[in-house]
Amino acid sequence: MKKDSLSKAALAVAFLGLAVWGGLPLYRHRHRGVPVVKGPGVTAVLRLSEFSPGLKGTAGDTFVFVLQGKAPGGKALLMGNTHANEPEGMLAALIFIENAVVEKGTLYVIPFFNNSASRNTRPGDGYPLYFDIATDWGACRFRYGNRDASPLDQWPDPDVYIHYPERQLLSYIDVRNTNRTWPGRPDGPLMERVTFGAMELMRRESVDLAIDIHGAETMFPVTNCIVAPEKSVKIATLASLTVKAMEGFENHVEPSPAGFRGLSHREIGDHGPSLPFLLEAPIPFLDQPTGPKTTKLLLDGKDPFLLSLSRKKKLFVPYDEDGWPLEKRVGQNLSVALEIFRQFSKKSAGRPIAVRGVPRYADAVKDGVGRFLADPAKAAPGGVIMN
Amino acid sequence: MIMIAYYAITAFLLFLVGWNFVREKERRQDLVLYLLVMIPLLLRLLRWK
Repeated sequence: MKKDSLSKAALAVAFLGLAVWGGLPLYRHRHRGVPVVKGPGVTAVLRLSEFSPGLKGTAGDTFVFVLQGKAPGGKALLMGNTHANEPEGMLAALIFIENAVVEKGTLYVIPFFNNSASRNTRPGDGYPLYFDIATDWGACRFRYGNRDASPLDQWPDPDVYIHYPERQLLSYIDVRNTNRTWPGRPDGPLMERVTFGAMELMRRESVDLAIDIHGAETMFPVTNCIVAPEKSVKIATLASLTVKAMEGFENHVEPSPAGFRGLSHREIGDHGPSLPFLLEAPIPFLDQPTGPKTTKLLLDGKDPFLLSLSRKKKLFVPYDEDGWPLEKRVGQNLSVALEIFRQFSKKSAGRPIAVRGVPRYADAVKDGVGRFLADPAKAAPGGVIMN
Repeated sequence: MIMIAYYAITAFLLFLVGWNFVREKERRQDLVLYLLVMIPLLLRLLRWK
């Protein structure tokens, strides 16, 4: 009897040890901070909970960087990491925060829109926990997150997610997907409170433009594009044509389907004053038929299986031995966002948005993304926000 | 309300598996399986993050 109890206790302790050993890297990933240097244009740093009090003290709360220009003008909201496994959005947002100087108008930038998802991972798909960007001052390490918020922060999932307010039935997992929970509500599930916060920001501050930056598989038809509803489509088309003519890269326009609810490019425009745009850059890492999900694949986008599929014309974007590197993805997000500002300013003379200091596509491709990330060690006291 | 119900279900399942673990006398592989099943239930119940 005693021997039996002892062996059971030993077994239980061994299992507990295994659980701790396996859980520690995930714990460290979840609690690791990413430094965000307040650039020359940052005038205030807010929390999203100021617009959605239900987020206070939760992992859904996130930083909102305000870049207010000296001259009045239009207002734009930039969101990265709506899906935290599509880092080109977060990096483009960081480059705006750390480099942009707004001359006219105001920018609101949320680099970690789904903060909980950026602290989640997908071990079943072999996702790396981190990726490093080479910079002039050394490697800058970022958390690599997941598409959906962590179940540690929002649980349990329903059998079917009933979208609010349209009551459309969506997949259960979409209750944790901040690109299905728009427009949100103040007392809904955590991710609805996140999107509600952004909606409130746009409504209270009369934001003109909302740009939600994503990445999409090369085998997915809605990739390498700007998704826009009817009210944004003119500006999106002009931006698309201009970047193709002036900067030499494709970024076509896709219409936002009116019958598919919960997406930013649909609900932001239907429930608030802003013109929504969703940017999709091709990210080979997310495709299913690739080799191992390594940080190399995430950064350079080179994969022999995708190359073979490209030769069979199975991809929706041009793909060759050069892959689809991060620099291209981030660069096109930067250029398209700047072009949307410019086209909006031309059409709305009373509300211009003028930004300088942000690199464009050619700069990012030539110099790399790391060239435009600021060194936290050289920041002024209080100039670094840990997210 | 739903969350409370799910936590109650988790606690009940943990109790059942734990009770089986205590009662099991012979099959070692079953003991290992019980422990495996208990890990996520325990983590959820204790809200370890």
